Amino acid sequence: MQNLEREIKDTNIRLCLDCGKCTVVCPVAQHDPAFNPRLIAQRRLAQNSHGSRDETIWSCLSCYMCVERCNYHVNFPRFIHALRAESLAEGAQIQCSHGGAFQTMMHLMAREDLQQKRLDWLPKDVELSGQSDTLFFVGCAPYFDVLFNDLGVNTLDGVKGALKLLNRAQIPFNILANERCCGRDLLLQGDRKGFLTLAKANVEEFARHGVKRIITNCPECYYTLKADYPNMLGGRGIEVLHLTQAIAPLVQSGKLSLGKLEKRVTYQDPCTLGRCSRIFDEPRQILGAVAGLKLVEMEQSREKALCCGATSWLQCGAVNRQIQNQRFAQAEASGAEILVTACPKCQIHLRCAQKSSDGKGARVEIQDLASLAARSLD
Amino acid sequence: MNNAMANVVVFACNWDGLSCIEAAAQKGLRYPASVKIVRVTCLSRVHSGLILKAFELGANGVMLLGCNPGNCHFEIDAGLIEREYEKTRNILGLLGLREERLALTRLPGGDGPGFVKRVTNFIAGIAQTEPATLR
Repeated sequence: MQNLEREIKDTNIRLCLDCGKCTVVCPVAQHDPAFNPRLIAQRRLAQNSHGSRDETIWSCLSCYMCVERCNYHVNFPRFIHALRAESLAEGAQIQCSHGGAFQTMMHLMAREDLQQKRLDWLPKDVELSGQSDTLFFVGCAPYFDVLFNDLGVNTLDGVKGALKLLNRAQIPFNILANERCCGRDLLLQGDRKGFLTLAKANVEEFARHGVKRIITNCPECYYTLKADYPNMLGGRGIEVLHLTQAIAPLVQSGKLSLGKLEKRVTYQDPCTLGRCSRIFDEPRQILGAVAGLKLVEMEQSREKALCCGATSWLQCGAVNRQIQNQRFAQAEASGAEILVTACPKCQIHLRCAQKSSDGKGARVEIQDLASLAARSLD
Repeated sequence: MNNAMANVVVFACNWDGLSCIEAAAQKGLRYPASVKIVRVTCLSRVHSGLILKAFELGANGVMLLGCNPGNCHFEIDAGLIEREYEKTRNILGLLGLREERLALTRLPGGDGPGFVKRVTNFIAGIAQTEPATLR
């Protein structure tokens, strides 16, 4: 309860003017009238004690569209995470997607004596630098590719592309054999204890290896390592970069030249990279540096980009599918052959939507940004 | 690790799978009491989330016990369990928990001795190479 009071203060939720703009721009509220960010805040603030549980809190996508539109930048997603933590502590059952496999995997990864074997995919020609204080944080891509094998998901392609780009840019880096999940999804679900266990284990591992800088290709890992770790654990002075931040200045200055690819592409701004981390230009600069590549924007892009429709391995239903189909319609209308995204989870969710449409849906190819940029080097 | 202590969860299909376990009980055949049976309508109901949950809750091994191929009570066996079995094995491998901790066993209906033999061998296999990774 005390924690929630602090969150109410930190998220500026009392500044809400009741204007309803958050609800107008919220992609979930557009398809589900029962979901209303403004009323969720109002209902919770009106309660003196816990009262009845608000079941709609689990539908929020943490897409930050409401924060973008709110005149006071009320951090509604963070307020939702606090409400979820409160609800979870009271014994609420979460509706996990994928049979709860991800939640369980995150909990299994939190074990102290964990010794993963997660690097079998590493290409032989990748040059690792054991002495480097720069770490490439792989993320859960090896796990995603196994669990979403039947969707044709290949998020490791993006990781391999990222490593190739870093090698080509002569940025030395190391990889950890026993890196754990960053824990973002547990944090978003309200499982702070689970998140902290993973975060502490990772931070200890970073310290053991003398890591001073982290580069990652996953926007969620990026934001979590950069913002949530210092916020929840206290600062450790580790610089965190998204791959696009490491590569874009080099292609801009001409130090790294990319190849040629005659394609018409559109770019899906991942919510966590765009609205949440304010990285809009770097991915576009990389795409712009590939000769022959034509970037066309979708109707909603940059700050207004539409979410891929699902997050934190929570609810996934008709509403989420409607959002995804809306995004595909925008991609088709842009005339792009490839929908490029910088987030493995966007890739998973969009591929799932594409596959379940039985070939009647969008035919646009979905590809990771790093993998596309690396493909141009061949 | 003592064989009798191995926490093994058996997801058994309600038809041929469970009939093997019942036959073993009727014949008074012995197997470790630490084996926990979870009865499911069909093995196709079991997915990676459930299997991994068993490991999270402290299982040392999970056995999926079902009907022989082509003998599914519901006539159509879409091969769902094979897919989930392969996926989960790979995940266990990535987690360093070893793929051998998951077994897919198919038996004809009423094969009590077959079940006891398989489950005992499975436990012996886990116990032999049990690292201290599980509770």
